[in-house]
Amino acid sequence: MLTISLKMADQAVRVLQQQTKPIKVEKWKVRQGNAVSLGRIVLIYDFMEKEKPEQKKLKALQAGIIHKILAVEGKVVQPGEPLYEIKACSHPTIMNDMCAECGADLRIELIQKTTASVPMIHAIPELKVSEEQAKQLGQADSDRLIKDRKLVLLVDLDQTLIHTTNDNVPANIKDVYHFQLNGPTSPWYHTRLRPGTHKFLSTICEFYELHICTFGVRSYAHMIARFLDPEQKFFSNRILSRDECFDPTSKKANLSALFPCGDDMVCIIDDREDVWSHAANLIHVKPYHFFQHTGDINAPPGLDKHEDDDKEGVDLTRAAKQPSPDVPGDKSESTETEDENLTSVNEDKTVQSSPGDSSEIVDAKSDALGSSTNEDLTKSNHCDDNDKGVSSEISESVPPSSSTEEPNVEIKPIPSDEVVTKDEVSENSGSIEETKISLATELNSGGESIDKKSESESIPKVDTGKTNGKLKGIAPEHSEKSQDASLYEVEDPDDYINYLEDILKQIHTSYYQLYDEMESGKIPDLKKVIPYVKSQVLKGCKLVFSGLVPTHYKLEESKAYRVARILGAEVQHNFNNDTTHLVAVRPGTAKVNAGRRRKNLKIVTPDWLWCCAERWEQVDERLFPLNAKGSKNRHPPPHCSSPEHIPEYPGSQTPVLRKRSPSGRFMDTINPLMSFSRDDIADMDKEVEDILEDDTDDEEQVAPIPVELEDDNDTDMEDVNIKQLIQTEILDAYDSQTDDGERENTHDLVTHESKTQIHENRKRALDDAEDDKEDLPSRKFRRGEDIADDLDVEPQNSDDDDSDSFEAPDEEDEGEWNMMGAALEREFLSD
Amino acid sequence: MFYHISLEHEILLHPQYFGPQLLEKVKTKLYTEVEGTCTGKYGFVIAVTTIDHIGAGLILPGQGFVVYPVKYKAIVFRPFKGEVLDAVVRQVNKVGMFAEIGPLSCFISHHSIPAEMEFCPNVNPQCYKTKEEDIVIHAEGEIRLKIVGTRVDASGIFAIGTLMDDFLGLISN
Repeated sequence: MLTISLKMADQAVRVLQQQTKPIKVEKWKVRQGNAVSLGRIVLIYDFMEKEKPEQKKLKALQAGIIHKILAVEGKVVQPGEPLYEIKACSHPTIMNDMCAECGADLRIELIQKTTASVPMIHAIPELKVSEEQAKQLGQADSDRLIKDRKLVLLVDLDQTLIHTTNDNVPANIKDVYHFQLNGPTSPWYHTRLRPGTHKFLSTICEFYELHICTFGVRSYAHMIARFLDPEQKFFSNRILSRDECFDPTSKKANLSALFPCGDDMVCIIDDREDVWSHAANLIHVKPYHFFQHTGDINAPPGLDKHEDDDKEGVDLTRAAKQPSPDVPGDKSESTETEDENLTSVNEDKTVQSSPGDSSEIVDAKSDALGSSTNEDLTKSNHCDDNDKGVSSEISESVPPSSSTEEPNVEIKPIPSDEVVTKDEVSENSGSIEETKISLATELNSGGESIDKKSESESIPKVDTGKTNGKLKGIAPEHSEKSQDASLYEVEDPDDYINYLEDILKQIHTSYYQLYDEMESGKIPDLKKVIPYVKSQVLKGCKLVFSGLVPTHYKLEESKAYRVARILGAEVQHNFNNDTTHLVAVRPGTAKVNAGRRRKNLKIVTPDWLWCCAERWEQVDERLFPLNAKGSKNRHPPPHCSSPEHIPEYPGSQTPVLRKRSPSGRFMDTINPLMSFSRDDIADMDKEVEDILEDDTDDEEQVAPIPVELEDDNDTDMEDVNIKQLIQTEILDAYDSQTDDGERENTHDLVTHESKTQIHENRKRALDDAEDDKEDLPSRKFRRGEDIADDLDVEPQNSDDDDSDSFEAPDEEDEGEWNMMGAALEREFLSD
Repeated sequence: MFYHISLEHEILLHPQYFGPQLLEKVKTKLYTEVEGTCTGKYGFVIAVTTIDHIGAGLILPGQGFVVYPVKYKAIVFRPFKGEVLDAVVRQVNKVGMFAEIGPLSCFISHHSIPAEMEFCPNVNPQCYKTKEEDIVIHAEGEIRLKIVGTRVDASGIFAIGTLMDDFLGLISN
């Protein structure tokens, strides 16, 4: 037998002829550069024996690439002389544990340590390439992108481009796709594309290479891709789904695999930041919400967004009620027709039921009221002017037993003319809420009434006829197919995608402008370009805030400040000569009054700022005038309040953004009670009891709990009196501690002066000390009550914590919560 | 490679089929159970040609089911290393391309595609093509490839192919 010895020569292995007799090379079966697999016939040879020629086959003992053939055909090779050189295959590409170059089975060749580890193809995680290969391919990709003047855009599906529900949805709504994923018995999904998505994709694909990056399962992602892109023009096979995600809670991990040369050219659009670890190259998209009662059905586990799932969306019941032969799942129960930004009575109450014994009563009562309202609604389904707004005022922190007798029930019908039709210019700017007015009624629960102060600024309002998502039948001539005649087109006010398109185009332009300016060979980093583009939005604007930041906060720490800074605006404490904008929550403050006297100063509501942050453009200030009602959106919506983009270094996972407690430990912040000693709590109990005893003396007294007074600015003028009452009563409770001009007022009130008097006083007070009052209750709270001093975490709390205690629950900031979650996770992991 | 071989299979029949159509039922059940399956040893069973023998049924005690041993002949497809086959391209990407040979899927790395063929991601559909654009391989195109390795699992076979040899590549009609 022929024996072959292997000898290393650099990387190439030289295969020697180790036969006892010389052989004659008859024919090579391979050529230089060929890959040979184990056992492949390399060479046909013959022993140099006189008798009959005997063809023998030489098989490769090692897989690899023939580097060099050292013996020409016909040559006689002596024993020990080299035959050929073979470069061992490094298995740079692996598919199903098989080397895709040489065909070697890597499950058998366990000796070989595999270098291929990068799954570069979105939908095929089994296919892995070595890092070196990946770098090469990635470099080729970015070279090509530069050549084509394109960038990469990672597109999220759920709530960014589409909204999917698995609730029952009428089958006759236009632009809603219905599909099943797992055979005929599996649940139905209903997907609505964001209005303008097709146009958006076809425009933007000229500037960007589009990738889908979703937490939906693979079949779902591919199904949606078929809806979005039936010809595979936009996404081709670049679809990354949950099945391919390395990390079930983050999409960031896959980035390095998809783009081994770095994500300098990668731009991301997503409706949530946390899955991208708040990357700087992410454009936080306003979440698209079409179906009610459904959030992101593919939210990562544990990171569910509890946003206004029940409140947003378009009511489809009317479409369902239309006679249609093929409606699979009419909703049997009549859903309340809700406005997008308004809340239904039922839901709101259950959310803000006050703790303690009284909550049961409240709940029961509100349930009863809610159901009766429902009946009303169903009755008055088609009469638009029968709107009934019901608002309950609940003070969240009402002590359970502090109930004072003051039946105060008013139910006022809303004048029909106050309902604003949706074709207004500002309908999509998020300012609808402010134009919607509803009247407050107070709940009367049996003999004892609990004055409930809704800490949410949005007064719940049920609005039957006029909904944002109006449904109307489309004329048959619009439809091509005859069956489409029964389709109902849903008026969808969402036009965010147009702004998104502009943003992306602008980023693209800026990027390549920068690229042209830079010396060749270098590419700019989108993680710097995108914040730069954003910082140009309000460049040159010099803002002054009024009523936006509580006085005990540093301006620099407030969210509004950060939003303005990200947009490139300059924020000033007080008016300068060059101040351009005054952002005021409500009229009548000193700054507003001073501002009105200034020329060239634009007075706007905070909504203007949020709108600028949402659209990345300086929105026309005339759309957001400060009117008598002021604005209630003191905090930016989550998609506008991105934290300042700080450069992220790998490994630096320490939560530098927030220091919530002196100890820096997150768990101290989650429950302030943890830091109370037993004595502290006893003190608190005593205090509460004292207050309650005082209360019983005074019939006018209500719960002496600070509530945010200013948040009620959106309410009607008719409502003001009641509010004055409440506010002044609260002030009264802290009478002894008050030291400013309010003091007189409160005394006046205690002596039960007429309401008009109260009103005047209140007005005066507003003029005098507008900003001080911003946080008046809370300041007094702190001065007046011992608990505040013990509450050592509070002063260190950043604004978000404050907003939690201070603001309505529906204002809670998802981003902050997610960051808190991340911090908690880190802490646990580090322990 | 295709083979016409004799195979055996056991059919488990529910008592509800006991009746005049019993043997017919056994046959149809054989077709549905066997055709399209894949075994590591014989490869893909493409089609049953003849049913040679249906043995005596054995009633399983306690269940009432009957087991029929069936001998049949079938055409099977068993890919081998080194075999040259015609395939249809399914997907093209920067790492390589996926092709299907009937039930067998096969991956060809871009290293195993002749160097003169370049990946072009910008055209729709994506393709590998030469500079002169005389040869364009894109999805749905027909190619001739050589198998360099197979992965035989219990449920299927996966192959690695190459185009780096004479007469391989796009099949031009």
